Amino acid sequence: MIGMIERAPVELLGWFLGLLGSFGVPSWILAVVSAVIIIGTIIGVFLGLFALTSVMERKILARVQNRYGPNRVGFFRWRLCGLFQPVADGIKMITKEDIVPRTADKVVHFLAPVVMMIPALMVLAVIPYGRDMVPADLDAGILYFFAVGAGTEVAVFMAGWGSNNKYSVLGAMRAIAQMISYEIPLVIAAIVAAMIAGSLSPSAIVAAQGGFAFGFVPQWFVLTPWGFTACLVFYIAALAESNRSPFDLPEGESELVAGHLTEYSGFKYATFFMAEYVGMFAVCGMLVTLFLGGWQAPLPFLAVIPSWGWFLGKICFVAVTMVWVRATLPRLRIDHLLAFGWKFLLPMSFAAFFSAACWHYAGRGPAAWILSLAIVGIPYLILGKSFSNRFAVSRRTYQFSE
Amino acid sequence: MKFLGDWFVVLPAAVLLLAAGASVVMRNLIHAALCLTLSFIALGIVFIALGAEFVGLVQLLVYVGAVAMVIVFAILLTRPDRLEKSRTPFSGFGPAGGAAAGLVALVVLLGFIFSSPLAKKPLPAPASAPAAAIGEALMADHVVALIAIGVLLTAALIGAAVIAMEDKA
Repeated sequence: MIGMIERAPVELLGWFLGLLGSFGVPSWILAVVSAVIIIGTIIGVFLGLFALTSVMERKILARVQNRYGPNRVGFFRWRLCGLFQPVADGIKMITKEDIVPRTADKVVHFLAPVVMMIPALMVLAVIPYGRDMVPADLDAGILYFFAVGAGTEVAVFMAGWGSNNKYSVLGAMRAIAQMISYEIPLVIAAIVAAMIAGSLSPSAIVAAQGGFAFGFVPQWFVLTPWGFTACLVFYIAALAESNRSPFDLPEGESELVAGHLTEYSGFKYATFFMAEYVGMFAVCGMLVTLFLGGWQAPLPFLAVIPSWGWFLGKICFVAVTMVWVRATLPRLRIDHLLAFGWKFLLPMSFAAFFSAACWHYAGRGPAAWILSLAIVGIPYLILGKSFSNRFAVSRRTYQFSE
Repeated sequence: MKFLGDWFVVLPAAVLLLAAGASVVMRNLIHAALCLTLSFIALGIVFIALGAEFVGLVQLLVYVGAVAMVIVFAILLTRPDRLEKSRTPFSGFGPAGGAAAGLVALVVLLGFIFSSPLAKKPLPAPASAPAAAIGEALMADHVVALIAIGVLLTAALIGAAVIAMEDKA
């Protein structure tokens, strides 16, 4: 019974393809149909998650700020706690007038949301959603993820420059500088997990986190010193890559009037919004795959819940923490942001890398754990000290008013 | 899909040639830079279609993600105005002369390629884990080249930072 629920999606697809095959459909059409069904399912699930996330984010932000979020939009006469808000938002976005500035570059302005959406959807192909449920089991899946994810930067630049607007260009430049700066710690943190697992394939990395030490402790990478550091580095760099708070200076309304998104209205803005959220979920999915054990259950007896259920739960958990961080932390200034990325995150990612290598070569025993903890902890303390001295808050003296 | 096999290489290659040609000919500098980015993407797809997935993905990661952005930054931060008519067309030898020069270059290059010793060796069988094989080859056989390139990159980075640093008077 449990096995049936676990295997249900794969079995359903296999049964349907078998049914088509028995009608004499040639095999290449079956391959196309299989791909279309898988792609449709993934897009459907992630766009559904996007809709839910937009409501969830507003409600969580609201509750943190001691107010209700959207709680009116329902279905017929049932309020449903405002969960139909995305439907209202979608209708609003579609029916809004699409304004393009007269001096904007028409082709570039039009193509920017398209080019933004394409990588956000393409990276969903290499994430393992459950046991044997990777749409494309590439050997170099992690490399594919980051290579295709680099296409978002081109889209941000096109959006900023195509709008023919000083604020857009400034916002785009800052967004690209931020994305390039934080891409290095992101990739190095991912390579830490790939190095210990011995493969660039996401399903192999998930499999390397299988098994339980002492019978009940999961062997996820996040529960090791180097893995914990790399997970945090990856998490922070992921926040910066998807332009989420506290790294949302490119979209800050008080600074840049929505930056590279200033001149976009209606459906194009909705496309950008969608691409940002789908990208956020994709990078959450990669974080779960690399460090949180992918689709594996944390305790042996919890494996009754199917693997894709665990994966969905973990992604939602990481997404909720991202919203939580947004509600808590103020926005970083651009020079603070870049300094943090280059002077703190990059050395910490190297420390995690070195620590993981030492952990592996010291035999993965108790001594290795202490050594790897030291290699990660000492740079953290030193860097933290140097930063807190630099930006220390001192008593303010007013020069001219005494 | 066997019958599509060759088209996976020919179509991206055609896009590559068209985009590269367009980026040379276009008047608007930013459009030219974007066409160049498209040609980088097409080249990455050609690599992947030829079976070199690692090289193709690294091409996408490095060229589209970093080099194209550097080009765009350089254009935007140095010439912010009059981008539309900012390129004067070179009216030297005309299109016929350009085509003739290109043809001569193509013939010479093809001659070199087909007469080189590499072309006469049979293709080795593709490795089962290409990324691992490349990594081992880099670290074992070509480690000196790898470290030399690393030193060169570090020197370039430090030099760029020094040039861009303000003079502390």
